[in-house]
Amino acid sequence: MSEDLLRGRLVRLTAESAKTLAEPYSRSSQDSEYWRLETSDPARLFSVWNTEKELEKFLEKEPKVNEFYFSIRILEGDVQIGDVGLGVVSWSSRDAFVGIGIGERAFWGKGYGTDAMQVALRYAFQELNLRRVTLNTFAYNPRAIRSYEKAGFSHEGRVRGALSKDGNRYDVLYMGILREEWAQKEEK
Amino acid sequence: MNHELLQGKYVRLTAENPEVNASAEARWWQDSEYFRLLDSESPHLWSEKKLKEWFEKGLEKEDPHSFGFSIRTVEGDKVIGFVALFALSWKDGDTLAAIAIGEREYWGKGFGTEAMNLLLGYTFRELNLRRVGLIVFEYNLRAIRSYEKVGFIHEGRIRGAMLREGKRWDWLMMGLLREEWEARQKEVV
Repeated sequence: MSEDLLRGRLVRLTAESAKTLAEPYSRSSQDSEYWRLETSDPARLFSVWNTEKELEKFLEKEPKVNEFYFSIRILEGDVQIGDVGLGVVSWSSRDAFVGIGIGERAFWGKGYGTDAMQVALRYAFQELNLRRVTLNTFAYNPRAIRSYEKAGFSHEGRVRGALSKDGNRYDVLYMGILREEWAQKEEK
Repeated sequence: MNHELLQGKYVRLTAENPEVNASAEARWWQDSEYFRLLDSESPHLWSEKKLKEWFEKGLEKEDPHSFGFSIRTVEGDKVIGFVALFALSWKDGDTLAAIAIGEREYWGKGFGTEAMNLLLGYTFRELNLRRVGLIVFEYNLRAIRSYEKVGFIHEGRIRGAMLREGKRWDWLMMGLLREEWEARQKEVV
């Protein structure tokens, strides 16, 4: 019971002010590759001013009982590199959706996202006592898929051709992890 | 699977418009014994209008930490009381329950017991919670017997929590775990 629930091997989960996040978020919106990996919405640009306003609204509204949103900071150097959020879809079924994004390209492919996801899963299962966690990702994001597999997610489904980008159709993949699977993996 | 979650033999659980709840409660509150069995606050009276506004506000909030139902008799379709879950903790799977039968002629006849059992079915089988707790005043023997009948266990006693008519009265804490309730349903059937 004494371990720091929000700290992993490489990163920790934090709450940040709108001021801190506005500049990096605005910068990531300029990165259309990041955007396409992160969301299915058409790419859009946000100024720092605009981002700060939106973030203020988002961070200051009364926290919803079914939303748990964190920023990610790496332990070495304390740099803010992205965010991860859990949204409880159904408390009675104990299922949550998770989303993660590493906006800072310099920190891609180095295990930071995987570590952050593992911390988020521990929070979901140990603290929120959920039964399963679900996510979706895009067929053209192999780095993310590998990271989710490493964190213990199984492939559960495929929405064929749900995305249309550059004239091609891409699948949306559904992945999920059950509490027992996570617990078994933790033991190892 | 039993889909008749809210329907019993003698009562069913319903959602009523604020006017119906307000007019019923306004009448019940005039009965100070009703109020003293239900609430630790001193009996007081609210107008029907004030009660209606209170119910409306509650409905507008859509609070995910409470569930309230009216109790209607199967025979005669009369609103006789309410049952509710409140202070629900989703992550712990734990909640408090409350019940009251406002119509005196329905006291002591098993209507409340059946309504509570419907609420427990809803709590354990639909919301998938793990435990239901409640607080009852030690002088409310009819309620205590009813809770024991549906399976609540005596868990604790807050000594002298309430001062009424020059006497200190205990609050009793009772609780029921899902496994205990499920085991009982099999016995009954």
